[in-house]
Amino acid sequence: MTEENLPKKRFFKDELESSQEFKDIEEQKLSFQGNLENAKSFLFTEKPSSQEGVDDSPVMIEETDTSSNSPASCLKKNVEHFRNIVPGVPLERAELLCRMYSKENNVLSKALEHHFERPSSPAACSVNYGDTLPDTESLVTPIPVASLPSPRNHQEENGQRTSKRLKTESHSRRFIGSLQVNAMATRPTVRPIKYATKLKIGLSTGSLTMSKVSHANRSKKASMASYVKIYDAVNEREIGRVPGDIARILFPLLQTNEVEFEATMIFCDNKRLSIGDNFIFQLDCFLSFRIFDTSSPIEGQSKTIHDSSKRRWDSSTQPIVETSEELENGTRIMSLLSLFDKLNIKPIRQSEILENEDKDSRDEIDIIDLDDDKDLVDITSPCSETDNDANEEENIMNMNQLKFFYKATQSIDFLRDLPELEPPKEEFKLNLRRYQKQGLAWMLRREQEFEKLSEYDDFSKVDNSMMINPLWQQFKWPKDMSWESQRSGDRTPKASAEQRFYANLHTGEFSTEKPIMKTMMKGGILSDEMGLGKTISTLALIFSAPIDSEASSKQLFGTEGSDFPPQSQNIPYVSHTTLVVVPMSLLNQWNLEFEKANASKSMRSEIYYGGNVSSLKTLLTKTNNPPTVVLTTYGIVQNEWSKIIKEKDTSSSHTVSSGLFSVEFFRIVIDEGHTIRNRMTRTSKAVLQLAGKRRWVLTGTPIINRLDDLYSLVKFLRLEPWSQISYWKMLVSEPFEKKQYKKAFDVVNAIMVPVSLRRTKQMKDADGKLLVELPPKDIVVERLPFNKTQDHVYKYFLGKAENSVRSGLAQGDLLRKYSTILVHILRLRQICCDIKLLGSRDENDEDLSTSNQLVNEDLKSLTQGAAGEGFSYEFDARKMQIAISNVQKMYDSAELLENIECSICTTEPISLDKALFLECGHGFCEKCIMEYFEFQKEKKLETKCPNCRELVSYNNLVKVELKEGESPKIVPCNCDQKPAKVEALIKHLKVLRDTALGEQVVIFSQFSSYLDVLENELNETFASNEVKIYKFDGRLNLKERATVLEEFGVKSLSKQKILLLSLKAGGVGLNLTCASYAFMMDPWWSPSMEDQAIDRIHRIGQTSNVKVTRFIMENSIEEKMLKIQERKRTIGEAMDADEEERKKRRLQDIQMLFE
Amino acid sequence: MASLPKRIIKETERLVSDPVPGITAEPHEDNLRYFDVTIEGPQQSPYEDGVFHLELFLPDDYPMEAPKVRFLTKIYHPNIDRLGRICLDVLKTNWSPALQIRTILLSIQALLASPNPNDPLANDVAEDWIKNEEGAIRKAHEWTQLYASKDVK
Repeated sequence: MTEENLPKKRFFKDELESSQEFKDIEEQKLSFQGNLENAKSFLFTEKPSSQEGVDDSPVMIEETDTSSNSPASCLKKNVEHFRNIVPGVPLERAELLCRMYSKENNVLSKALEHHFERPSSPAACSVNYGDTLPDTESLVTPIPVASLPSPRNHQEENGQRTSKRLKTESHSRRFIGSLQVNAMATRPTVRPIKYATKLKIGLSTGSLTMSKVSHANRSKKASMASYVKIYDAVNEREIGRVPGDIARILFPLLQTNEVEFEATMIFCDNKRLSIGDNFIFQLDCFLSFRIFDTSSPIEGQSKTIHDSSKRRWDSSTQPIVETSEELENGTRIMSLLSLFDKLNIKPIRQSEILENEDKDSRDEIDIIDLDDDKDLVDITSPCSETDNDANEEENIMNMNQLKFFYKATQSIDFLRDLPELEPPKEEFKLNLRRYQKQGLAWMLRREQEFEKLSEYDDFSKVDNSMMINPLWQQFKWPKDMSWESQRSGDRTPKASAEQRFYANLHTGEFSTEKPIMKTMMKGGILSDEMGLGKTISTLALIFSAPIDSEASSKQLFGTEGSDFPPQSQNIPYVSHTTLVVVPMSLLNQWNLEFEKANASKSMRSEIYYGGNVSSLKTLLTKTNNPPTVVLTTYGIVQNEWSKIIKEKDTSSSHTVSSGLFSVEFFRIVIDEGHTIRNRMTRTSKAVLQLAGKRRWVLTGTPIINRLDDLYSLVKFLRLEPWSQISYWKMLVSEPFEKKQYKKAFDVVNAIMVPVSLRRTKQMKDADGKLLVELPPKDIVVERLPFNKTQDHVYKYFLGKAENSVRSGLAQGDLLRKYSTILVHILRLRQICCDIKLLGSRDENDEDLSTSNQLVNEDLKSLTQGAAGEGFSYEFDARKMQIAISNVQKMYDSAELLENIECSICTTEPISLDKALFLECGHGFCEKCIMEYFEFQKEKKLETKCPNCRELVSYNNLVKVELKEGESPKIVPCNCDQKPAKVEALIKHLKVLRDTALGEQVVIFSQFSSYLDVLENELNETFASNEVKIYKFDGRLNLKERATVLEEFGVKSLSKQKILLLSLKAGGVGLNLTCASYAFMMDPWWSPSMEDQAIDRIHRIGQTSNVKVTRFIMENSIEEKMLKIQERKRTIGEAMDADEEERKKRRLQDIQMLFE
Repeated sequence: MASLPKRIIKETERLVSDPVPGITAEPHEDNLRYFDVTIEGPQQSPYEDGVFHLELFLPDDYPMEAPKVRFLTKIYHPNIDRLGRICLDVLKTNWSPALQIRTILLSIQALLASPNPNDPLANDVAEDWIKNEEGAIRKAHEWTQLYASKDVK
């Protein structure tokens, strides 16, 4: 309860302060506040120890006063209490009020309520609550029997609401709909209740607070029905009760007075009612104008937020829990929502407002409508009833939800109407595409650089100011069909000409005025799909607005109520510099792009990495021409921040004297912004602490797998109020956890739409053209059979893995063995690539050293076993020597060597790079002699030289090595050790060399040790004058990376350039459009990773058709991986909302792999 | 059937363009792996003046596997049985992919010139050959005139 009091105190005070007409209270404010704690706790049924006599107050659960005491003494007591609580109230007034409510069972609270609500109008109430039945036409406040007012009720009513109410008294409510309710009689009646008899809806007992009921409600849903009763309006006699679903709506609403209800008997079979009889009444619902009682909804809202945030900041050490106040508000909102639902009141869609009912956009939205929450619940969680621990549950989003999210954020039609802007030609060299120009306009608008947008100035300002707060929804007032208006024939609306009202169904706030969204934050999220040129767009922005034009007027440091310590006060503001934080692999790319775009002499970029700038602060503040852009990496930011934290611990000084944190930047851009999606990581924490006035997030994937990924971005942007974790939790995380997906997504959309821009490659511009027309890409899966050794080794390891899985399944602890099985799977995948990878250390090999040893032993025995069958790695050096000398003898001149006929296929001459020689010296085509060995082995025949019939061994084959400028050299050939993929790759590369020399080729693998193997193989196979091999993986430092990419990018017409690219190091961000051929050596679990990799090549700037070959081993784990990929593509990767489901899926995956 | 390997085409062409003296081999039009073969009996042998018809078939695995060859013409020879099957090492264990149709046919021709009764296929003939070589040779000669005469088809 004490915790609950905190915010209430605030409300109380605020609203008191803002109220002007509450003069008498105002005067008493001081004394009143002195008693506030007590008064409040009194109202909230808390027993205050200091005040004697309060215990038997009517507010308490026991209704002692009215029943046991005489009316007179009771009245006196009440008056006394009343004046105790509100000292300074004239005795007469207190008496009047108490008398007025003397029939009620909670006199005091009613009286108090009345006192604060209508300080000037005791008379108005006596009309309603006097003993005479009020005239139906003038019935204004029909919640007579409302029991204990909820705390919320009080806060509002004590405060400023009063003022407005008086103004709008003449039509203080408006009809929103009628329901026909089938009710059940609980008391017999003497005679039939006549048609059109007025009924009253009320709560039966005053003994329950809403929160109690809502708690009880969790265990027993129907319980509310027993509290909502129907009374005869004349003699207040209970008649019956309403069905549970209606009661659930009515119960919380009856405790507030924001919705008013009128009930009229329609049908009771014209006989007297006995218990259990059904009757039907019409329930007219009116929205009381009390609900609109805030001077401006937005102000009110932001104030609340601000205050709550302040409060939360103060008490930020405490974990934030749902207070019972929040709970009650939640119930109230739910009730309102379901009432609206029942009455079929639907919000008018945003797009209709903006676009005058643009049919297209409307249809689109309708289609993408999420399913009912219920359905989703059914799908994702069979046990939603019981999960109160939903908080622990990770709320991962499924594919459909993601799609919905993206679609909603991109379906805004204003995209098409954005003006096209270009940065100054004399400074910016690059040509922007149309949508990039639009993007620039949007970004400038987000930064409120209106002078840059001059010709669209009006438009943008208007647009900004007219933007309805997206959390709010617009509703049309329905026609008044209520009983009395029908009766009286008075169809003219009571309210003025206002046709619409607005409601924020997330917070339960209402307004008759249009709620205007004003975002103060400058910046946003540019989440264009990968390859649409986010970098270019951002550079265009930087060139368009490189410096803060208002910097001279120093009035800049009003950071918008963020919960960050106000660093900006003590650190210099560098108004000329934009900080760009990027992943390390992109550092040079950004720099290059900047140089490419830069046409101005005064602009320059500076890389802040690896200690190349001695003092950033000096550079930025003391020099005449500070760099326009400072490029740095997440690593540096995190590093500097960690240092600061450490220093802070030791020294007490809070100012940072150097580095990134020592200045406030004009603008901060974080590229691949999803890097900070987990706000608990050090990097995220560090990035969030950077000081800058304008903030931009660039990311193609704002959500990686959970909705909360967005929170970090919002926090980085300091997007109020969402950057308050409590707000975010209340409106996004918690609804999502509670499976109210639609609600959560609506809020997220409301947050994201104004601050983010997302275009996809599939989108069309104003002319209906695709934004980006990329040349087609062709992805071919090439299935390869194992070679002998691989097959042998694979089968062995497969057997081991299967055993492990089988025993795991049998014992039911498969998941506990998960890591062991992962190792098995890794082994199999390595074998698919090359058995050399087995036992090698690799970035994917974590902590496998012990099992590596075992593997190596296995491998040894395996290959020895294989040796007997004629396949062995170990070759006999002596025999090899003989073989080499035999060949030399047999072909002792270059001429002879060049004119060998293959006796098997009768080709003559064989090209030397395709020739193999047996130990006897005879030469054959590689293919022919291999086929011969295969055939003989299959028939279990001896291998003899076809020419001389000498017994020969497969292992003693030799070949001729041709190197530029050297005479041919006879060397051992270990052909069989070429694994199938290497073989196939080499074949492809040879074809490419012969047909498309000069085309760059990218080869992807996730095993960096495999890249090494490939590098060796390719170097062995190809002469250095025809092929140049580059390797890009995590082991390269920044400079090396830049060099590799730069060199690889230069076209060479005489050489085939091959880039071996590690997925982990180069999977994101890189631009490799210079290449149009790619080979994917091994499949990844996640298909999107593969797509990402392919998109390195298939992106803007690519001019030729892209050909991708994926190598997959036949009948191996890789084929199964393809299947799993397929499944992931269709059902969404991260679909499983709960742990159980995910476990199940993982099990399925494993079983699928080994079935 | 798999497409015809280059080697078979090459061999066939060469058999036509550069025939071995005393031997012809022509592929069937509808099956290029099936050859009609004739071998003239070597001089100074009981088979002199005879023309022997054979069939030759190149299996799918040729040249890894030896061609299948059979005499169609009746012949009296210790290494050739009544069904025309030939006992010749290069057609069996000593086959090598370096061998070709023409070399195989030459080997068969050589076998006619020097029968080897010690490694017989037709046991009765071989016995006859060992016991009474002259009579056997005469009989072989008779058979040649009877069945393999150039006039008789």
